[in-house]
Amino acid sequence: MTGRPGNGTMERLFWGVGSALVVIYALIPVAWIVSLSLKRSGDLGDNRFFPQNVTLEHYQVVFSDPQFSAALWNSVGIAGISTLAAVLAGMFAAYAIVRLEFSGRRLILAAALCVAMFPPVSIVGPLFDMWRILGLYDTWAGLILPYMTFTLPLAVWTLSAFFRDIPWDLDKAARVDGATPFKAFVYVIAPLAAPGVFTAAILVFIFTWNDFLFAISLTSTNNARTVPAAIAFFTGGSRFEQPTSSIAAASVVVTVPIIIVVLIFQRRIVAGLTSGAVKG
Amino acid sequence: MSEIELRNVTKRFGGTTAVSNASFTIDDGEFFILVGPSGCGKSTLLNMIVGLEEVSEGEIRVDGRRVNDLDPKDRNMAMVFQSYAIYPHMSVRENIAFPLKLAKLSREEVDRRVGKAAEILELEEYLDRKPRALSGGQRQRVAMGRAIVREPKAFLLDEPLSNLDAKLRVQMRTEIARLQNRLGTTTIYVTHDQTEAMTLGDRIAVLRKGEVLQIGTPRELYEQPHNLFVAGFIGSPAMNFVPARWSGGQLELPFGALEMPTDSANAVQAMEHPLIAGFRPEHLQAIDAQAHTGLHLEARAEVVEWLGADLFVYFDIKLEGFETLTLPEDLEIQTGHASRHTLVARLGPGPAVKEGDTLRLGLEPRDVQVFDAGTGNKITLSTGDE
Repeated sequence: MTGRPGNGTMERLFWGVGSALVVIYALIPVAWIVSLSLKRSGDLGDNRFFPQNVTLEHYQVVFSDPQFSAALWNSVGIAGISTLAAVLAGMFAAYAIVRLEFSGRRLILAAALCVAMFPPVSIVGPLFDMWRILGLYDTWAGLILPYMTFTLPLAVWTLSAFFRDIPWDLDKAARVDGATPFKAFVYVIAPLAAPGVFTAAILVFIFTWNDFLFAISLTSTNNARTVPAAIAFFTGGSRFEQPTSSIAAASVVVTVPIIIVVLIFQRRIVAGLTSGAVKG
Repeated sequence: MSEIELRNVTKRFGGTTAVSNASFTIDDGEFFILVGPSGCGKSTLLNMIVGLEEVSEGEIRVDGRRVNDLDPKDRNMAMVFQSYAIYPHMSVRENIAFPLKLAKLSREEVDRRVGKAAEILELEEYLDRKPRALSGGQRQRVAMGRAIVREPKAFLLDEPLSNLDAKLRVQMRTEIARLQNRLGTTTIYVTHDQTEAMTLGDRIAVLRKGEVLQIGTPRELYEQPHNLFVAGFIGSPAMNFVPARWSGGQLELPFGALEMPTDSANAVQAMEHPLIAGFRPEHLQAIDAQAHTGLHLEARAEVVEWLGADLFVYFDIKLEGFETLTLPEDLEIQTGHASRHTLVARLGPGPAVKEGDTLRLGLEPRDVQVFDAGTGNKITLSTGDE
């Protein structure tokens, strides 16, 4: 942001205050949940933002609950596999759409967009029945499949935008240098598309990690129930308590991996962008 | 090192023909230039030779072997792209070693060859840098390095110098010429710049709209162009063109008539068409009034360009009684408009000429080339003409 010299301070103030407002607005609920998870059960209704007495008992409860650790494992596995599969498939699809001349390229992109806009809630019912018949109900595959379906368009769109920016002379050069099309892709195109791949991976991972609708509808046991669904089944530490604090603690626990993932990938995105910033 | 032969090579993209019926042979070790205005099909031709584009019709032979269906990776040709196309995520060393790595050469051999290429191109101290830390000229060298390490059958260069600034371009031009001399590898060089073509090439093919108009040494193209386009494209400043007509055994130009030696009936017949006469700037020479046999004209210098060794004088003539000249647009020659027509003379640096001075210029009949205004073909005036 470079303004006219006289406006420098005002402009910086404007952007600074603006950013601060947005960040505070977005983070207050998160802070609230963190605060709730640290309060003692008895203090839940004390109408204070900051906990008077900090306790980690809810975290202990959460981790001692076998249901939660199973769900955490399911979440990691299902989100990981979905992300990998969607990004890999999206990579090949995007490469083909950008690179190859075939009729219906635009149609594919448009159709992919339609899939993304399709309300998931309308297919949950039929899926429930189908999965029961096919034996996919309450399995990892039963969740991975719909996740892939709904995230592939996202991956294809993001990746094709990145692929479009790669100078194709590089691909030609690799071919002339003696590479097969596949080797040219692996050695030259894929490393350059890395920032796009990580961007797509983050988006897909967040989508699958956070999904509640499919997770609650298509699972029934610890076999495949993911964390967002499992939280809904939480009971309190004892039968006389509301599970509010436990839910808050569990929410904090599931947020941490996503923050880590984003931070890791974000590094890679920045590194990738600068190393690719060369006039082809 | 190899001989590359094209037989009736044609390329079509959908309904348009990018290259039609190109047939020529590039000799072993030759520096061959494909030159022409943008969109003439020269890059397409190069891409077909290296295998990045399929040949629609005809065949390409390397050392007598048909390569039409050979994958680019199996043709063992090296290419330098206009954009350099060096891999931004690899260091200079990795870039140069890439073709060798793909060829699965031993590590020692790779190191030896990379070292040698780096030495030839003076890249030794940059081997561990990433391309983004290099200047344009250095990137150009990396691209060249990647081409020469393989000891390929042929180098194909696609406008390799067009992204460099003028000074560096001249420098790299000399370097490429020296490199090719030293390695003796068959080289095909694509450019739209006639100066590069003239200075580098053993032979030049002039292309226009997908057709090969003429192939020859730089001297042949300059002195004996087969048609109007080649005549106008080769040479800087461009050849002077004026409308002309054949009347009473003489060639009439807007500023006088010339006795042309014609001994062929065909030529006379051809001369009945509307004509264009062309002559190089250096063929207009300052003369004394009497001692000259050819055509004289009085010229008032409009613009004078003194370049030390050369003096260019631009002047206008009137086209009284002649049609305004229409030259092919892709020649990009400005000749003025309406009744005003600008010509240029290249004079020795000797006499000082100022803008506004009046000069006497002479033109010899043997220096005038005549073209059919309709077809652009050169009209051969006498059997002894070529």
